Amino acid sequence: MIVPVRCFTCGKLLGDKWEEFSRRVREGEDASKVLDDLGINRYCCRRMLLSHVEIIDEIIKFHEAGKNLRPP
Amino acid sequence: MNIQIIKKNDISLRLLIEDTNAAFMNTLRRIVTSEVPSMAIDDVVIIENSSTLQDDFLAHRVGLVPLKTDLDTYNLPEDCTCKSEFGCNLCRVSLALEAETEDHTITVYSSHFKSENPVVVPVSDRIPIAKLAPSQKIRLEAYARLGKGKDHARWQPVSMCAYKYLPIVIVNTKLCDLCGDCIKICPKNILTKAGDKIEIRNVLDCTLCQDCIDACKKNPKALEVSWNENSFIFEIESTGVLTPERILKGALSILEGKLKEFLDQLVVK
Repeated sequence: MIVPVRCFTCGKLLGDKWEEFSRRVREGEDASKVLDDLGINRYCCRRMLLSHVEIIDEIIKFHEAGKNLRPP
Repeated sequence: MNIQIIKKNDISLRLLIEDTNAAFMNTLRRIVTSEVPSMAIDDVVIIENSSTLQDDFLAHRVGLVPLKTDLDTYNLPEDCTCKSEFGCNLCRVSLALEAETEDHTITVYSSHFKSENPVVVPVSDRIPIAKLAPSQKIRLEAYARLGKGKDHARWQPVSMCAYKYLPIVIVNTKLCDLCGDCIKICPKNILTKAGDKIEIRNVLDCTLCQDCIDACKKNPKALEVSWNENSFIFEIESTGVLTPERILKGALSILEGKLKEFLDQLVVK
């Protein structure tokens, strides 16, 4: 849904690193290098960001559309 | 006991501790993970939530946000003089979160929290709490308390606290034929070829996996991996709630308290 605040396994704070990670990977950087730069070393934390899909962005489109349908 | 600092920064600390034993190291590790208190949100009152995230989902996310902790000012709720289930100024901090949006989608960050104590604030300002579509709104009040890692993981002050034996890697130059298989297989790149012998560098990184021994084709093996049972590498990585030094000091004073209590009981009865 939305990026987890912490790593499920070890509890490291990851939520604040997601936006930089996704932006840099979208711009074409190598994901493993970005994770190293962000100081995410353990594989439990790395899979958290690597495998995350921000589904809330897809769901929220329906709410944005709903706003336009509502009478003024 | 002899302690050297190998690596130190804001959130992590790596120590080489000599002349001790596994029992002591494990005591330290267990106290750090389960007994050292830290601050986290415990109760959430949701006044209004029209976001896509359900109330319980939102409360769970809010609870996991690590808060900078002031151990000297606040009491654990069970030890506080107020004896109140709700808490008082000495054992509870209230944080308010209000966010709404008119005509565009926004992300609500941990920086939107307004804390009654400017010391107890989220560790990072950029943790996304929720996303709001136009005309959606969140209003909530959260109560943070001190707690222990054994009660819930959100109160654990560390994201990693571990120790390992001090590794000893020895290459027998008489048997070694410099095939280089051990250099290739080592996951931590501890071995290098230097001239006509295999050299060992940063031996502290060795994980004692012994892959190099399996890779060596010689019989008997040309290298030996062992460890010193009285020396340890102890590493601690804080979630940011307290400095690693403060966590260790806290753990030691808790251990001291436990031992003192034990001794007092022993003398009286």
